[in-house]
Amino acid sequence: MEQLVQTEVWKAQTLQELIQILHRLFSGDKVSVEEVQALMESYESNPVEWMKYAQFDQYRYTRNLVDKGNGKFNLMILCWGEGHGSSIHDHTDSHCFMKILQGNLKETLFEWPGKKGTGAMTKKSERVLEENQCAYINEKQIFHSTSSEHQERKYHLGMAADSIGLHRVENTSHTESAVSLHLYSPPFDSCNTFDQRTGHKHNVKMTFYSQFGERTPGATVVSQENN
Amino acid sequence: MEPQEAAGAAGGGGGGAGLLELELPRRGAGEAGAAVAVAAELEARRSGETRRLVLSRRLSGPLPAGLARWFPALEVLDVSGTGLAALGAELLELPRLRTLLAKNNRLGGPGALPKGLGQAPLARSLRVLNLSGNRFAELPAALLGLRGLQSLSLGGNRLHSIPPEIQALSSLEFLYLGGNFITSIPPELANLPSLSYLVLSDNKIQSIPPQLAQLHSLRSLSLHNNLLTYLPREILNLVHLEELSLRGNPLVVRFVRDLTYNPPSLLELAGRTMKTRNIPYAPSDLPGNLVRYLSLASNCPNPKCGGVYFDSCVRQIKFVDFCGKYRLPLMHYLCSPECSSPCSSASQSSTSQSESDSEDEAIVAAHRMQKVLLG
Repeated sequence: MEQLVQTEVWKAQTLQELIQILHRLFSGDKVSVEEVQALMESYESNPVEWMKYAQFDQYRYTRNLVDKGNGKFNLMILCWGEGHGSSIHDHTDSHCFMKILQGNLKETLFEWPGKKGTGAMTKKSERVLEENQCAYINEKQIFHSTSSEHQERKYHLGMAADSIGLHRVENTSHTESAVSLHLYSPPFDSCNTFDQRTGHKHNVKMTFYSQFGERTPGATVVSQENN
Repeated sequence: MEPQEAAGAAGGGGGGAGLLELELPRRGAGEAGAAVAVAAELEARRSGETRRLVLSRRLSGPLPAGLARWFPALEVLDVSGTGLAALGAELLELPRLRTLLAKNNRLGGPGALPKGLGQAPLARSLRVLNLSGNRFAELPAALLGLRGLQSLSLGGNRLHSIPPEIQALSSLEFLYLGGNFITSIPPELANLPSLSYLVLSDNKIQSIPPQLAQLHSLRSLSLHNNLLTYLPREILNLVHLEELSLRGNPLVVRFVRDLTYNPPSLLELAGRTMKTRNIPYAPSDLPGNLVRYLSLASNCPNPKCGGVYFDSCVRQIKFVDFCGKYRLPLMHYLCSPECSSPCSSASQSSTSQSESDSEDEAIVAAHRMQKVLLG
């Protein structure tokens, strides 16, 4: 994704409108990260509009597909019961936007493990995202080497990248569930999960608990999360 | 989390026979005024068909007297975030209540739950009880009479322990105790035959009793953010376990063999001989304390050993792959340093990671032995 010369400010009044504008933004070859993030943030969460996608599972968080974005992106809603969390994972070279629709989610960023993947992984930072906030996670970690190269690249793309690379997302509340809206571009169906204690990685296939509001048929796949 | 609570925030008020949601504006009036207003409005909207009632405004006292008469068909009552300090005797009148949500209130003092809960219709009808986000410092004994309870949440309270009497809740499938100050788990918890989801995260737990492995129905176990350094090897017996969270525990990463093995006492050696040679004895043959001692023999897990031990054993941590997702440090107790225990189980086998650990073990052990010998 590269930045357009002029960034426009969009306001989505409803979830349907958000999806329509996203289709428009992604119809060309170039998409502005800032435009997408501003658009996602502009939508004021209205539970009535997304309730049908918010299908919870008792034991773990769920991924519920909302829109396939003509192959350019996947839009999905994640439902987190009390205490539910993900493993540390990457996004397989995709850009990821995460907006909170209800409740709060804690995001913890981690350094990429060393070359041999041995030893405990280092936390970089953590933050709690609140309702309607939208975080952008840039996966493209082409430069592992010097941080100055990395800074340069961030500047060139004009990203207000909040976080880079690996993260763990958790609902730390013991009383409230949480719901988040995620956009991934390009879409992906597998990613790497990392063991925090050793840095070892493990490729897992991601599945949808429901698609377009319909529960995905077939047995519940055992989660591949390591947390 | 109750399966039927989808988005949590239900849509607008009033309306259909199935749901009655009451929203009362907060008035500046004193407490007495507010309580009367709630009761009056509820009575005005009484219905023999209403199944679900969500009260969202502050209640200054317990549940209004008359609630059960106004809503006799009530199955779901949500009084979360209403500031309740006591649920009150009216709860005992509700004939069909299946779900009671009372999160984020001021419950926890004596009398938070009414006396006689075990004899009320509630005791048989209630399936789901959510008391998370309150002030309970101990699990209220009144709760133990709810024999039909399937789901109990006391997340985010101030519990320091779990009473062994919890085993009385024999229908329990879902138990959420995350976010308390619990330091240990009673083995009696394992006597809940239907328990499938157990949450003990964000507590101060240092060890898991091996008896928990008897929870055959357990599908999800949440232990993150505690003080665990290892797990009992019996955990491998939980063959239906699909989810296990362990992050935020100071789990041992490198194996450290306990080299300060104290040789067994004469008592221990005599006891071992009695057991392994099957020497018959009757309670009248021995002093009571020795009979008791003999009953405490533990079997050595080494299948080639077949021995027993009493007080003197070697602790060893082995790393085992679990479900292909985790490497768990599991504690083994062995009767002597020559023994070693099997580390395989139903769902995985030793990997090269475990083997390289064994090499690490040997190197570490040799170094420590040198240190011990050379002082």
